[in-house]
Amino acid sequence: MSARRARMSVLLLPSNDVRSTMRGVWLACCLCVIVAGGHAPLAMAGQGRSASPFRPLPPGEPVADARIDRVERWLKAVTLHEPGADDDALREVGSWSNRDLQTLWIEVNVVVQLMRNPRKGIFSVRPDSQRAPTEIRYTARQLGRLVALACAAGGIIAEPHCVDIKAATSLDADLMRLSGLAGAARLRGDGNYVLRRGALLHSDVAILTPRSAMDPVSPSPLPGPQRLRLEISDGRDVDLGQDAVHWDIARMVLDYVKPSGADAPAPGRDAMVRQWYTATAAWMQHVEQHDHLHLARAREIFPADPEVLFLSGCQREAYAAPRIQSGIRAADLPAGMSLGVASPRGELRQAEAFFRRALEVKPDHVEARLRHGRVLGGLGRHADAAAELRQAIASADDTLLVYYGNLFLGAAEEELGHRDAARLAYEQAAALYPDAQSPLVALSRLARRYGDRPGALRAIQRVFALSSDANERNDPWWTYNVAQARNADALLEELRRPFQPGAAP
Amino acid sequence: MTRTRRKQRTQKTQKTQRMWCLCVSVAAFFSVSFVPLVSLSRVPIVSLSRVPIVSLSQSQPSFSSKVEAVRVDVLVTERDGGSAILGLGPSDFEVLDNGVPQQVDLVSFEQIPLNVILVLDMSDSVAGERLDHLRGAGAALLGALKKGDQAALVTFSHLVVLGAGLTGDVEPVATAIDTVSGSGDTALVDGTYAGMMIGESDAGRALLIVFSDGVDTSSWLSPDAVLDAAKRSDVVVYGVTARSRLKPEFLHDLTSFTGGRLFEIEKTANLRATFLGILDEFRHRYLVSYTPRGVAKDGWHRLDVRVRNRRVTVKARPGYLAQTP
Repeated sequence: MSARRARMSVLLLPSNDVRSTMRGVWLACCLCVIVAGGHAPLAMAGQGRSASPFRPLPPGEPVADARIDRVERWLKAVTLHEPGADDDALREVGSWSNRDLQTLWIEVNVVVQLMRNPRKGIFSVRPDSQRAPTEIRYTARQLGRLVALACAAGGIIAEPHCVDIKAATSLDADLMRLSGLAGAARLRGDGNYVLRRGALLHSDVAILTPRSAMDPVSPSPLPGPQRLRLEISDGRDVDLGQDAVHWDIARMVLDYVKPSGADAPAPGRDAMVRQWYTATAAWMQHVEQHDHLHLARAREIFPADPEVLFLSGCQREAYAAPRIQSGIRAADLPAGMSLGVASPRGELRQAEAFFRRALEVKPDHVEARLRHGRVLGGLGRHADAAAELRQAIASADDTLLVYYGNLFLGAAEEELGHRDAARLAYEQAAALYPDAQSPLVALSRLARRYGDRPGALRAIQRVFALSSDANERNDPWWTYNVAQARNADALLEELRRPFQPGAAP
Repeated sequence: MTRTRRKQRTQKTQKTQRMWCLCVSVAAFFSVSFVPLVSLSRVPIVSLSRVPIVSLSQSQPSFSSKVEAVRVDVLVTERDGGSAILGLGPSDFEVLDNGVPQQVDLVSFEQIPLNVILVLDMSDSVAGERLDHLRGAGAALLGALKKGDQAALVTFSHLVVLGAGLTGDVEPVATAIDTVSGSGDTALVDGTYAGMMIGESDAGRALLIVFSDGVDTSSWLSPDAVLDAAKRSDVVVYGVTARSRLKPEFLHDLTSFTGGRLFEIEKTANLRATFLGILDEFRHRYLVSYTPRGVAKDGWHRLDVRVRNRRVTVKARPGYLAQTP
């Protein structure tokens, strides 16, 4: 069962960020807000929201020069990385520590803002563990260097302010190459070269160089985003640690994407950003690395996107399953931390709402209807479930979906007391996947429930007659929790293709 | 109890032993033809449509075409977890079915052969040393079986596999235990259900020993579905699990409903002693039978089993679910 994963991760947040789902979503997007320009409200990443002009700001620690050097190396890695490739640039960024990445998040954020406005001079950071922002104090030399890097990153080296500070004279060949590439993209109407490739770099690091060991949980939050990860193995053994913030950096840079002709960042109008969210969210679900902040941000940017809503429903449905619920019960969390995972019923309710909204937007979304039906059954609405599942089966042309549909329909009919209909549905599922044990176990249980012990025994004998070799057994029920993301690799390939060598500009 | 009286009782028990093997389990009311899961079942596969109830009093047999016997596995120990009390007879037991006193027809003890079904977790978490301990414990258990006993093996990861069907020859079961390996997820609920079905496939007295060191992550059946099946069955389930922060709710409920016991162990190094202890305890249980009278046929029957005039602890299933097909 190659698609099966014995480990999964669930991202954790400080408890003040997950008091409720909606509040958690909102605050999650406000982690580590960079506020520029002191008291001038900052429009956050195209959201149209304003961050409070917290003043006076507590002074932060002086910024080490190494942090400025790192953002320069980052820009070079962005330029040199070929999306999807395990190259030197990817390995270098993948080798950076969590602390490096947390501070990188700050400097990248600053550089990106300077790309849009090279004259900005005051910056602050609000870590997710703090209510008030902390001022980031750069020396004049550091700020000058950041502006020069921003001139290269934005491809704006010929603009007056960049010319005034003689940015070009301070850039080496790699950065001049970056400047050229970014400038060429601008001329084609896309001023987001570094943003798109930066997001692809960090998602590639997260996807292609997964860390085998997690850092221990830091007792004091560092400036910059902080993510904890809970790893669950076999539903019981759990490991808690600090996770790298590659996804946070990728999301942050994409928040600044400004479509052609737009006056302000508007990632919600950008096709690549949408593609990035759906592909990466699907990949996360495919490998069971659940991160609800990822989809929460996707929903903020694309509130009516059926795929984002569908994947959101799948995520909450997965959270309701025993393999995650049991791990969460087993977890020993540090004081002040809690998980953004509700009870099974609470998760199913959220899943139902997401699937329903996906279907409102796209009524012919067969897989959303199938899962909506299953979730309705889980909530005890068996008649609604059966109706939804019948409709999904009638529309499905994929054997896998028809199998799931019949399996779940059997369960719904069983609960409705429709024994014959349940048996028929289970038998149809069994016929589609003769090596699958679940419909046979279901048939046995159905017979047993109605006092038909010979029938129950006959069905269980069919299970025993299956091969004992796992390689010869195929029950899609075992991979239902990742089946929605079976196209994740194809989505990633499609996402990367325009950025790979030889792609049309 | 005198030695002579005990001997008489033993002889009487042996006499009825074979009939017991034919006596259908009656927690649920079936018109049954047993489906053999094994070819070596010592019990002939017969079509048992309305099985006659075997009475302890052979001179006045009681037959019923509508109501069948209920049998209850009962463990009687000294108070405060003391040793098992042996030598009790039908007149020592008082059985209330939904509060209605019942006439105890037959009490058997020890001499009835056992059907021991091992249901063992073979998921990822069992690989390595735990698996060695599990193999050792399984082998020790098989070695402790007596002539006439049968054993079977079901293993589960996400796959449910029949390692060996019920057989009086422990060799294939031992071989199956030796060859298992641990990998995959945990279908504890499905695996347990499959084991229960093996127990129900034979009229013998079934002991299901379920070992799992994980929680269910991949079963199709819900715990409630299997608990429902357990309420209709007279298979007794003993559970063994590794102690952790997670409460083994399913095994706890299942062992409670079947009158068995749950062992939460610190280390699997002690598994051998645990398995042997379970077998020993089960051998000291009584099999009490009665034909329900004065109670509704269908639905949940609350059972209350007591021992007259003795200050003892009685452990039995709390009830059963009866159903007309």
